[in-house]
Amino acid sequence: MPGRAAAGRIRKAIALVNSVADGAGDEDVTPTEIAEAIRDCLELSEVDQVANVRRYLGEALDAVSDGMPADFVAMTLYAALGALTDG
Amino acid sequence: MSSAEGRGRTVDEAVDAALIELKESRRNVDVKVISETPEQTLVEVTVIDHTAAPAIDSAPANGKAEVARGLVEGLLKHMGVRAQVTVRTGSEPITLDISGRDLGALIGWRGETLRALQSVTNVMVGRHLAEGERIIVDVERYRQRREHTVREIAMRAARQVKMTGDPITLDAMQPFERRAIHLALEGDPDVTSGSIGEEPERRVVVGPRKPAAE
Repeated sequence: MPGRAAAGRIRKAIALVNSVADGAGDEDVTPTEIAEAIRDCLELSEVDQVANVRRYLGEALDAVSDGMPADFVAMTLYAALGALTDG
Repeated sequence: MSSAEGRGRTVDEAVDAALIELKESRRNVDVKVISETPEQTLVEVTVIDHTAAPAIDSAPANGKAEVARGLVEGLLKHMGVRAQVTVRTGSEPITLDISGRDLGALIGWRGETLRALQSVTNVMVGRHLAEGERIIVDVERYRQRREHTVREIAMRAARQVKMTGDPITLDAMQPFERRAIHLALEGDPDVTSGSIGEEPERRVVVGPRKPAAE
């Protein structure tokens, strides 16, 4: 499936963000780790093969650096994942 | 709301005993483990009242919950999903229950779509919420059922650890599932739970509790 690697990396970034939002109380995820996970997604050329995926990932990265709530970052990443799987 | 106590060698057996008495299926009940020993498990099983009037009608006016309910209802309508959205009574944090027919697509693979819906809901309602306050979204009590399931898994793992003395690593789980396990085992004097690995492959490890150093 095209975009599988990118989808996997986006899911990992989403899981990190969700762990911040849901808080299982067994880990401490920093914004830097989330930003790194999103940058890992942006490194893949697959994200350029479908419209809007890179844009959504960029918005998610901006949201992390702007200190936006975890749910907002998650929603933007879901948009990227949705665009990728629909594309 | 009817309830019954069940006894058995395992949680499953105890729940089954109570379900027989209640003439109910597991899907329609809440399970609370009252006591558990190697010989016997005692549970309280309560039937979930699906016929109760939507909580939003009977509960005291809750502006935030009503705003969230209205927004989710509108969102589902735009998505072409026919479902009823209600506010769960006495739930803290605010929990929205979505019910209807064929809502599997709204849950998605390992609850992914449901989690996305919850994120969108919290973003939409965000300005009405206090710092750190969140809305939980559940579809056909999926989250609740998963929490019950993982609590049962935790109890089984704890029994195994007590028998063998060896730690057990469970499957990768979502944060709310891991939290349910940590909470289920925190009062157990013989076992302890921790997590290893990175999201989304983070797993709970149940192990024997070591005696405090002298």
